[in-house]
Amino acid sequence: MTTTSRDTRDRQAVGGRSALTPPPQPRPRQRITTRARVLVAAAVTLVFVAPIYLMLVNAFKPQDKILANPLALPWPPTLDNLTKALSRPDNLIPLGLRNSLIVAVISVALIVPLGSAFSFYISRRSGRVKAIILVALSAGLMIPPQVTLLPTIRILTWIGLDHSYPGLILANLGGGYLSFAVFVYVGFMRSVPDEIIQAARLDGASGLRIWWQIVMPLVRPATATVVIFLTLWIWNDFLNPLFILGPLQGQTITTGLYLTIGQYSVDYGQLFGIMFLAGVLPVIGYLTVQKQFVAGLTSGSAK
Amino acid sequence: MEDRRAVRKRNSGERGLALLAALALGLYVVFLVLPLLLSLRSSFTNENPLKAQNDFIGFANYTEMAGDDQLKASLTFTLILAFGVTIAANALGVGFALLLNRTSLSYRVMRTVAFLPQVLSGVIVAFVWQTILTQNGLLNTALVKIGLLDEPYPWLGSPHAALFSIGLVVTWVMSGFTTVVYLAALQSIPLELHDMASLDGVRGTQRFRKITWPMLAPGTTISVTISLITVLKLYDIITVLTGGGPANSTQSTALYIVKLAFTSDRVGYASAVAMLLLGLSALVALTVTGVLRRREVSL
Amino acid sequence: MIRKPLLAACVAGLLALTAACGSGDGGGKESGETALTYLVFETPSLDAKFWDDSITAASAQTPGVKINKIVAPSTDRDGYAKQLQQSGQFPDLLQSITPSNFVGAGLLKPYDKTWIDANFLLPSANSLKGEVYIPPTNSQIVPQVYYNKQLFQQAGIEKAPTTWAEFLDACAKLKAKNINPIELGGADPFAASMPLVGIVSADILGKNKNWLQDRYADKVKFADADMVTAVNKYRTLVTSGYFDKGALGVKYADSITRFTTGKSAMYPMGSWFLGSVPKDTADNFGSFPWPTDNGDVVVPFVGGGSMAISAKAKDTALAEKFGQAWSLNPANLKALIETDGAFPMIKGKTLKDYNVTVTKVFEDSYAYVGQDNNKVSAIGWATNDDALPAGLNDAFYAAAQALFTKDDVAGELKKLDEAWKTAAQ
Repeated sequence: MTTTSRDTRDRQAVGGRSALTPPPQPRPRQRITTRARVLVAAAVTLVFVAPIYLMLVNAFKPQDKILANPLALPWPPTLDNLTKALSRPDNLIPLGLRNSLIVAVISVALIVPLGSAFSFYISRRSGRVKAIILVALSAGLMIPPQVTLLPTIRILTWIGLDHSYPGLILANLGGGYLSFAVFVYVGFMRSVPDEIIQAARLDGASGLRIWWQIVMPLVRPATATVVIFLTLWIWNDFLNPLFILGPLQGQTITTGLYLTIGQYSVDYGQLFGIMFLAGVLPVIGYLTVQKQFVAGLTSGSAK
Repeated sequence: MEDRRAVRKRNSGERGLALLAALALGLYVVFLVLPLLLSLRSSFTNENPLKAQNDFIGFANYTEMAGDDQLKASLTFTLILAFGVTIAANALGVGFALLLNRTSLSYRVMRTVAFLPQVLSGVIVAFVWQTILTQNGLLNTALVKIGLLDEPYPWLGSPHAALFSIGLVVTWVMSGFTTVVYLAALQSIPLELHDMASLDGVRGTQRFRKITWPMLAPGTTISVTISLITVLKLYDIITVLTGGGPANSTQSTALYIVKLAFTSDRVGYASAVAMLLLGLSALVALTVTGVLRRREVSL
Repeated sequence: MIRKPLLAACVAGLLALTAACGSGDGGGKESGETALTYLVFETPSLDAKFWDDSITAASAQTPGVKINKIVAPSTDRDGYAKQLQQSGQFPDLLQSITPSNFVGAGLLKPYDKTWIDANFLLPSANSLKGEVYIPPTNSQIVPQVYYNKQLFQQAGIEKAPTTWAEFLDACAKLKAKNINPIELGGADPFAASMPLVGIVSADILGKNKNWLQDRYADKVKFADADMVTAVNKYRTLVTSGYFDKGALGVKYADSITRFTTGKSAMYPMGSWFLGSVPKDTADNFGSFPWPTDNGDVVVPFVGGGSMAISAKAKDTALAEKFGQAWSLNPANLKALIETDGAFPMIKGKTLKDYNVTVTKVFEDSYAYVGQDNNKVSAIGWATNDDALPAGLNDAFYAAAQALFTKDDVAGELKKLDEAWKTAAQ
């Protein structure tokens, strides 16, 4: 289901059907319903995004204006909240963003080759072992992380990586995230024609080479899905950084927010300023890769 | 010569791939399977960091669960929240999807916006909602000012209201996801079906019941299952919003496990409760998927 | 070409390691300093600047130490310390924790007793099984009732109530004037329990100082009739509408602002509240001890103090030195007196010696410490042998929150007895 085909069909569904059937209603009335529909949709969407709207506008308003009318537009806008948030002595925002970036980027950069190589390897095999391994892996998708949290910390302590970035990243690699990557890749690799791989094999290409040079380019949409979703999830993760990383190694953006402003949130201006800065990056990311994002979800739910 | 080198290269390439695959599986075993087994083992002990020695106590932790009021309350809360949010978020998702399933630019903008709550981290979501819902929060201030309320309402401060408020926030987050899933499902409905229906004069609610709804079934399966599992393991939003209070009334089983293991020194018992949550998640996920999949076929 | 992914993986792995080294460890090693972690907590009055300044000052007196501050994420710092301990990063120094929660596991190292005896007015105020884990630098009364004189006047209440009947009468008068009688920051469990701490300390411990010891010996129970009667007083306050209906949704920090800006007339809170009394309207606030049936004064007293030392600290001697320097630093005490309402307990010093400016209500409240009156251990707050068993504080707080919405006093108290049994095992 590509975006283009969907769009044309939609247009047909709305207005272009006259060739097949007579228009169900006279045209003016239809235009009114179309317009009413936009209005209803817009109203519903507005109510829905009100909290995000609040976060956006109030980040640029002083405390007294927020309390006077939280919905009002920030005019004239003040940058006080943002500068205050950025000039905190504990460097909450810059450090948090940096740490989150490190964890998310490295975790995803490692999960993608591991997950796809594993999926390729296993999808070329058959039999009961493969089935069992795949079921065991997909079970990882539903295991609540609270169940494995404490033993994971113990294991990291045994290998001397407790409360460190490598430890957190290792825990990310082995947990449910890998399950998700394998889940997506196996689905896509099923659709890679066997002939291509056989041909490459006859040419003398090794498994590693076939995987990297032939299969990976073919499953690029799967990689996009895995990269986008895992980056988002690991970026937003709370439990693992809170317990596995702990307070001494510098906070990720989520735990940083929790540990520093959990206490007293009386100054709404400050709070919204910090939230705005902490949230703006994933939102920008989402807006830029939006198409792949939706495509990923669509293909995921179709499988 | 040439040939042998190629073969050696190829063999090392095979081994390389197998090695990567084995590494992935190994990581999964060490950081998911092993912790699970350790947790299972611990659930049969009285493990407690305050004590020097732990003993195997058989099923004592499991029998203790039967009489644990906090556990019962947490399970009730978790299940009500999970099913309540799933129903609400999926109903909203279908509604949104039907409403937004159009091509013009304004609809595309609205679709983009509807997914935003999913992008923000639970911590941010919860903090923003807290400023809205807290006793002196924006909602109470507004409602009192326009005269709808005489005095601030305890949105987070009474057990029932807090359950409702958390449900509202989580539904808000999940609806973005369900909307996108249902939109995708809607768009996979073959156009001819609608055209045929139009020829037969099937319209409006009837068309929804007879065509759209059955065709949404695969989307429903995914969306319902993921909503349920997400709520069962939810931690961040509740922790920030209420911390499990007031009086532990919003303490989900996931929160209870963490509290038992990390602050109440009851690691063994926490492991037993964790096993219960694991079993519950598996049961819910498998039955719901099973039922919905069968429904997909029968529809 | 073939090695590319492996190479990429290796590079990424290396990156991970360097990143960790770059931001980890907290530094200090290269200059020969020992890094110690120090768990503190922030409140509206004890803010980040206070902790940073006090750490700098005490570090200057303790050569070779480098302090890494950890801030507890909520008011439940015992819980957070436990959490850190469970995940293998128990701090080396822990400010104002409840030692009894940790001593059982041998996690804390006691201070040198000759140093304690030499420096403090009440050396045994925090003594737990003969050892002192927290220097008794100051003391607290938990709770006192603070009141707004102007609101009292408006409601026609002439003097601060001393008996329970007068207290109820004052509440009724305030309520009749549409003034919220009692402020409660019920969203934070410890704050939610304040009225209950007052009632139990005054009515039960006021009559039997050894009640907690008797409870340890199983001679008394929470479910006993006198306790049920006492706790029912709390239900009376709730059902009469003397708290804001949404009090369980009010955060501790908000409750302070609400009271100081005149939203409620009375505020039962630990004496640290005195640090939050606004300077410009300080004369408008007064305090009185939690009222008893016959008007006898009972003072729920706690030996407060500074920090405990982890027995597993990298360098316990150095940690103790830092703790001693911090505890005796007059600048810290000055800040604690002024912003946290601490009643100083250092030998040979009067309030004047600290060069502090305090409010009238502080002096009035502090007077109860020096007077010869019926001082009892504040239940749930004592850091000496009267401390509750590990985990019972949480149960006590939860009961306080539960009783705000539920009528089942006997049932909640029975739960406390059961929790006690589990904890004592």
